[in-house]
Amino acid sequence: MMSATSVSTTSAVETRALCSVRVGGQMYGVDINEVSEILGPSQQRSVPCAPHFIGGLVPYRGEVLTTVNLRALFDLPPFEQLSSALVVEGESGTYGLLVDAVCEVAQVTAETFEAIPSTLDAKRKALLRGAYKLPKGLLIQLELKRLDPMALMAMSSSVAV
Amino acid sequence: MERSLTELESRPEDSALIAEIFRAVHTIKGTTGFLGFHRLESLAHSGENVLGLLREGKIKSSQQVITILLRTMDALRGILKRISVSGDDGAEEAMNDAPLIRELDQLSGLEAGPVYAAKSREKKKAASRKKAAATAKSLEESTASIQLPAMLQQLPQPAPPPEPVQYNRRATDVPGGASQAATESTLRVDVELLNRMMNLVGELVLTRNQILQHNSVNHGFNTLARRLDMVTSDLRESVMKARMQPVSYIFQKFPRMVRDLCHICNKHVQLDMVGQETELDKSLLEAIKDPLIHAVRNAIDHGMEPEADRVAIGKPVEGTVRLRAIQEGGHVVIEVSDDGRGMDPKRILQKAVDKGLVPAENAENMSEREIFQLVFMPGFSTAEKVTNVSGRGVGMDVVRTNVEKIGGKVELDSALGKGTTLRLRIPLTLAIVPALVVRACGETFAIPQNALFELVYVSEENVSTAIERVDNVQVYRLRGDLLPVVRLDELLKLPMEKSEQKKFFMVVLDADGRRFGLVVDELLDPEEIVVKPLSVVLRQMGLFSGATILGNGSLALILDPTAAAIRSNIALRNVEEDAAIAPAIEAEVSPEFLVFSTGRKGERPRRMALPLEIVDRIETVPFNRIEFAGQQPVMQYLGGLLPLLDESNLLHDLSESSSTNAAQTPVQILVIHHESEAVGIVVREVLDVTRGNIYADANLPGAENATSKVARIGDRVTVLQNMATVREILASQNSESVKNNMQLEVA
Repeated sequence: MMSATSVSTTSAVETRALCSVRVGGQMYGVDINEVSEILGPSQQRSVPCAPHFIGGLVPYRGEVLTTVNLRALFDLPPFEQLSSALVVEGESGTYGLLVDAVCEVAQVTAETFEAIPSTLDAKRKALLRGAYKLPKGLLIQLELKRLDPMALMAMSSSVAV
Repeated sequence: MERSLTELESRPEDSALIAEIFRAVHTIKGTTGFLGFHRLESLAHSGENVLGLLREGKIKSSQQVITILLRTMDALRGILKRISVSGDDGAEEAMNDAPLIRELDQLSGLEAGPVYAAKSREKKKAASRKKAAATAKSLEESTASIQLPAMLQQLPQPAPPPEPVQYNRRATDVPGGASQAATESTLRVDVELLNRMMNLVGELVLTRNQILQHNSVNHGFNTLARRLDMVTSDLRESVMKARMQPVSYIFQKFPRMVRDLCHICNKHVQLDMVGQETELDKSLLEAIKDPLIHAVRNAIDHGMEPEADRVAIGKPVEGTVRLRAIQEGGHVVIEVSDDGRGMDPKRILQKAVDKGLVPAENAENMSEREIFQLVFMPGFSTAEKVTNVSGRGVGMDVVRTNVEKIGGKVELDSALGKGTTLRLRIPLTLAIVPALVVRACGETFAIPQNALFELVYVSEENVSTAIERVDNVQVYRLRGDLLPVVRLDELLKLPMEKSEQKKFFMVVLDADGRRFGLVVDELLDPEEIVVKPLSVVLRQMGLFSGATILGNGSLALILDPTAAAIRSNIALRNVEEDAAIAPAIEAEVSPEFLVFSTGRKGERPRRMALPLEIVDRIETVPFNRIEFAGQQPVMQYLGGLLPLLDESNLLHDLSESSSTNAAQTPVQILVIHHESEAVGIVVREVLDVTRGNIYADANLPGAENATSKVARIGDRVTVLQNMATVREILASQNSESVKNNMQLEVA
């Protein structure tokens, strides 16, 4: 349902700019308008007893930014080096998305968009908006609404119940 | 509130939600009531009636109920808007509210009926429910009958809109009224701007910390760092000061309120205000306004006896309510005390059991302190009937919720027949707090110093014995008391290296009465930290109250001691229990002893002890100040002669000594008193002051004297020397004064 509505909205727009990031071996895209800042590789302060998807804390403009660990969400092993972070304005406040590396901005068109195949695990699928078929490979757009720490929290607790 | 109401529609059973809405409406009612906005008040009151029934589960939150409540809220908002624009609540339009109020009253009065009937048909609990329903109904009827005539009177002749000028005049002619001058001489500053300044200062503090930690590079840099330190401190202080406002800012609203309340309740109360100049952070001041209003209402409506009763028990007709503000360390304490009837713990308990707030089987074991805490539970009220002023049991709930929200504490003291004191303990400021930085498993954490009680160091050799186990719980013996121990690494599930036990530190914390020892690997510096709020997800965990950036630039989480205690199941310490135990311990603990050594040079020193209470002074004098009257050594002391007791002939040895500096050799003398006479005892060395117990009549085999008594000083068994011996020695030295001095010899 969710992805169906997304399709209709994206098809209305001719091209859009996605900030592409690498997590593990896969390229993911985030709408450039939704990224307020990119933080270079930085040390994360881990938070004991926090949910698994919390990457930790980083200092950000005099405040403390909570980060979401995409690797943990995609069941990938921890990143050996320092992660970069995309600063995103979420519903419960600003948060950071930890990625292995931030790459170039990709211009994508609606024609290359396709919904995530139904074979993917429903829980995982909810985090993804769809895939753009680019010549270099697939660029998977992240569903930022679902990546907000509070949304993730609600999701993980509902799964647990 | 709108959000809460709509949420209620989807979750009709959520009692916390209802309580939240109820508090909001109650606060509107309370505030508007004392400001004289009767139109707003009467509407809010009717709405509150319905909500009250909702909260007690007497009516179900159906769609119809919520629609009406939402309409009520809209109407309230409309009036509030009007007030903010024109300054009056449009009392002449009160007519327009009448249908809505009638609808609300119908809802609370009539809607309730069928539900009771349905419930009472349930066979099992029929009897008790019926009773409850009946009382509730009569309660409802009584409110309705109070409410409606009041409205009828109000409608034809609406109350004149109150004028602000009138307020001021009234406020000043009440005794103890706030000084207007104090508020006029202050500057109004945008709170938004102040917050920004506060953030900047926070940054400055961080920078200073960073510079201070890198100051060994060169000297110029050092000076710079010091200057920065000074500037930062000054700036911080001045900004803080700008945020501070005297409590008179809120106190000045009370005379008028008390006056009105007295009129309604038909009581004579004098309001006493002390410490109005005490200053508090502006935002905190705002936050305690509502709690204080509730507290004063309670004091007058519930606390004060009716005049006739006061006369009957010989109290002055005019009651006194006292508002007192004082600063105590990092806190401001605001007290609301009355000289009314006080609270009866038994009655509170009974009420709590009746209302189902406390299971009856728990009730018997509750201490007075615990019982008084019940007053703060939502839905608690001891008032016999619900009045316009108070009695719904929301008040104290609001007080506690609001005060705890800003990190404060609420305490309640009451003496039956004498009065009640409510104490709000408010932190001076929240943004910058002194904290202790600790480390566990390589991670740093900050612990706010206000919870810090003491620090215990356990060295490597003591590690194995320091912490004992009760079942699988770890405890530490702190001065004889068992202190529950929480390991920080276990609490936070940090990856533990299974290395051999090494030395550790224990931070003894007292988190709102929960005392425990927190074991950490390392103590770092105490630092003034700038508290950064955490995101909602991390806040929900409850374990950390924030994060901070340390002097070395790294992030540290701020541990919430209360949350840590609750997570580890640390129970509340009962103060009364402590108080009961304390004198018992006092009685058991014997007096302190001064332990010293005697014996000639070259001999093995003998440990001796004297009760500390008879020791006046320890004097160290050069040997040449000691003179001999015949064989008796004496010393000039405080204009008199002090006979010296020299059992081990230390002085004799010195006088015989051929050494040239013998005259300057320092001699330690214990000046003791006995029956108003002083005597000096020459000792080799003063060792310690410690506690010990004398075991009377215990025979010690092998002791020099068969009549010696045994004492335990510290952890060593000692012998109490027979007093006759002391007397003998003194007599042989021609001294007449010391007769019954107890002298203890360490075995």
